[in-house]
Amino acid sequence: MVSNLRYVGNPALQNVDGADKVSGRARYVCDMVVPGMLVAKVLRSPLPHARIARLDTAPALAVPGVKAVITHADFVDDGNFGWPVKDAYVLAVNKVRHVGEPVAAVAAETEAAAIAGLNAIIVEYEPLPVIGTVDQAMSPEAPLIPEVSPTGKGNLCNIHILRNGDPAPLLIEAPVRFEATYEMPHQEHAYMETEGALAIPEPDGSVTLYANNQSPHINRDIAAQVLGLPTNLVRVIQPPIGGAFGGKDEILYQTSAQAAKLATLAGRPVKLILSRSESMAASYKRQAMRSHIVLGAETDGTLRAAKVDLTVDNGAYASGTPLASWRATMHAAGGYRYAAVHVDMQSVYTNNGYSGAFRGFGNTQASAAVELAIDELAERLGQDPLEYRLRNCLREGDATMTGDLLDQAVGLADCLEWVRDHSEWTKKRADCAAQPEDGLTRRGIGVACYFHGSGLGGEGEDFATATVKIEEDNSITLTSGLTDFGQGSRTVFTLLAAETLGVDIDRIRVLRPDTQTALDSGPTVASRASIVGGNAVRVTSEKVALLLDLAAADHLRCDPRQLIRDGESYVGPNETPVPFETIVDHAREMGLQLSAQGRWQIRPIEWDFETGTGEPYFCYVFGAQVAEVEVSRRTGRTRVLKIWAAHDAGKILFPKGALGQMYGGIAQGLGFALMENFRFKDGVPQTLSFTQYRLPRATDVPEIEGTYIQTAGAIGPYGAKNLAEPVMIGTAPAIANAFAQATGIRVRGFPLPRVKG
Amino acid sequence: MRLTFTLNGEVVSLDRIAEDLPLLDLLRDTLGLTGTKRGCETGTCGLCSVLVDDALTRACRTPVTKVAGHTVTTIEGMLGPNGELGDLQSAFLEYGAVQCGFCTSAMVLAGEALLRRTLTPSREEIRRAINSILCRCTGYQQIVDAIEATAQHRRDQQKATSGGEGQW
Repeated sequence: MVSNLRYVGNPALQNVDGADKVSGRARYVCDMVVPGMLVAKVLRSPLPHARIARLDTAPALAVPGVKAVITHADFVDDGNFGWPVKDAYVLAVNKVRHVGEPVAAVAAETEAAAIAGLNAIIVEYEPLPVIGTVDQAMSPEAPLIPEVSPTGKGNLCNIHILRNGDPAPLLIEAPVRFEATYEMPHQEHAYMETEGALAIPEPDGSVTLYANNQSPHINRDIAAQVLGLPTNLVRVIQPPIGGAFGGKDEILYQTSAQAAKLATLAGRPVKLILSRSESMAASYKRQAMRSHIVLGAETDGTLRAAKVDLTVDNGAYASGTPLASWRATMHAAGGYRYAAVHVDMQSVYTNNGYSGAFRGFGNTQASAAVELAIDELAERLGQDPLEYRLRNCLREGDATMTGDLLDQAVGLADCLEWVRDHSEWTKKRADCAAQPEDGLTRRGIGVACYFHGSGLGGEGEDFATATVKIEEDNSITLTSGLTDFGQGSRTVFTLLAAETLGVDIDRIRVLRPDTQTALDSGPTVASRASIVGGNAVRVTSEKVALLLDLAAADHLRCDPRQLIRDGESYVGPNETPVPFETIVDHAREMGLQLSAQGRWQIRPIEWDFETGTGEPYFCYVFGAQVAEVEVSRRTGRTRVLKIWAAHDAGKILFPKGALGQMYGGIAQGLGFALMENFRFKDGVPQTLSFTQYRLPRATDVPEIEGTYIQTAGAIGPYGAKNLAEPVMIGTAPAIANAFAQATGIRVRGFPLPRVKG
Repeated sequence: MRLTFTLNGEVVSLDRIAEDLPLLDLLRDTLGLTGTKRGCETGTCGLCSVLVDDALTRACRTPVTKVAGHTVTTIEGMLGPNGELGDLQSAFLEYGAVQCGFCTSAMVLAGEALLRRTLTPSREEIRRAINSILCRCTGYQQIVDAIEATAQHRRDQQKATSGGEGQW
């Protein structure tokens, strides 16, 4: 295949931050030290639900070294924030709703003094009844967890519905009907770098915040609001981030506002870094989700209808759950053709920590459930589970489970065929079925597939911005308001600018997001940085490229359409290459301003939340995975031997990074299936360290053979679609389905049990 | 106490150091070597791993008395004399083994510890050598690739050197 592209899709491209990171020079917020800096510590609730009967912080100020102490009363409107449900607080007000909820914070000369300050605070709790399950939460006698019920119906936080046709008669008529309930557990993000912020009070009354947040402009807006400052007196600068996976939004707004208030009160810089146990108690999780699934099929296996009821445990605060649960609703019956589908979702407050955004954003749990159900249905029909999926999976021209017509390339069948062929599925499936009854281990091979709506969809306005500027030395400076927390978006933005401007990549320097220089680009979520942020970089670069074309045409005395590029040089009809620098100089002589701002926005989509109908997303991505497992008869442990993965992400922009996303997503899916399970007992978290909460290690994760199916025609830059979140969705159900072949046991949730004998 | 040890090739002598001070605090807070990261309080994440002599060692669980008279290598010590990346570090970039970067220092040192023992590790051995360090981003595969490629690179270099000698 001949390609004129120098950087897009170039497998040799390396991460632009790689050298800083691999040399240990990258400076994360926890590494920063500034003169006069104080250390902050936070008093957190030990109880899952209690009234704060007494809170006296005055004794803390008497502790030597303590310079400031704060409660909710130090913030405007009690520090109330949150979107779309405004139920969160910077520090607890009158009541605590989960273990780890912040109650007060202290800044002191040393960590020891800060801890002594916390210990001096007088706090008395009156325990309230604890809601530890969604069923308890929905009982009419249950105490109300939020201050105000957002729905007016007790602990019901929000509902979503999908209404595509009427599945009821089809499910009654269907010759084959499958019905089951699945329970997916909470999952901890476990980013290697805990949450942190460094706040510096400036002489003009403004505050500068260095914070490892995903969305610096939102952090700025919330900090300004709760501090009572004009927006332009809060500046958020984003250092390198040690992983996020969706987990560094609300918890960072709390942490940043706490540090900023302490800093303004003390008149000195304040650094607040969470310990690991603190992070695990205080941060939000992937929400636990119950899926009650009813599927109806013809005797030949053709799927006809689905009815899914989702019950989501969003914990003590809504955080991102109202949006994540909508995404779960839009995907709860999977990437298959149906004549009719209904989904009813209710999200419920409990005292089980709180839940929000985590890679996959509701689809990870919802798809896991339906992929276990589809596998069981295929078995009941006596059909091979992979061929069964191929028979029913979405193809171009089909309508999705929401009724959305797929007028785009659909790579789902290609993905299924790729993993089938590369895993030698048919042979291995037969070998596993015929394995001896008395071996030391039992083997199995399983499959799962998924679809995933791109971008925010009905979740909000989907735009991003960028700036591009040619500097005096002819280097090029690029900004985006979207952040890189390890996923590689800074590299993607750099290569897109170089490609579009036709310059060497070394000319480009992408600045870290700083709310004083980068323009608001909305949140860095939903795997949208490469697509929406990337298109903003592309259109902004095109503006500057157009100016340079005009200058080159003027210099070469030709029409801009006669220009061609030879490397960086411009070539006109006289065929003599003119260096890039000469053209830039000429542009300056012409008085052209060699900088631009640009914005790109996905066309608005129309989803009617009241009727549960409409077009939820502008396009979709697809994928399939096969897992081969071995279950020891002696220990009962499941070991994953290998994973094959294929994902349709359109044009791949940064191949090394894209594969890294796939491998990393698979490891998180493997953890979800085998070992993670963030547990609460009567609202009390049971897994607050890495000894209690096991993460996949290098010997737990198998060799992965992965590929990207590069379908054409997507609207992302150079035809790209999204990939970072959905690549994890297939893993956990593929492993569980392999486990089912190995053991004959069909699980209805994670983690998989140990099965001896 | 007075503490003397070799850090990244230079002899360091420090006065008034508490005996129970963890090496991690000494490196990060006293000496400002922040390339070594802190990831937990339970000694489970391995992010603070450094080399003490040739052994991969968790700095958070190592009182400074243990390194007196020994040689400590941190990520800062893996750079060449002019700050250039070493072969293993370059391989991490070449094989896409760096995402958020927070485990990278420890992973590079774990790879180095392994390659000082053997230049013919299997991929399974490489996985065992980095098993004490958690990574949440990469799924480990490209880290294994980078260490495996560096082993090959160093074998080739060794062969070239010994081959040259053989001709004489």
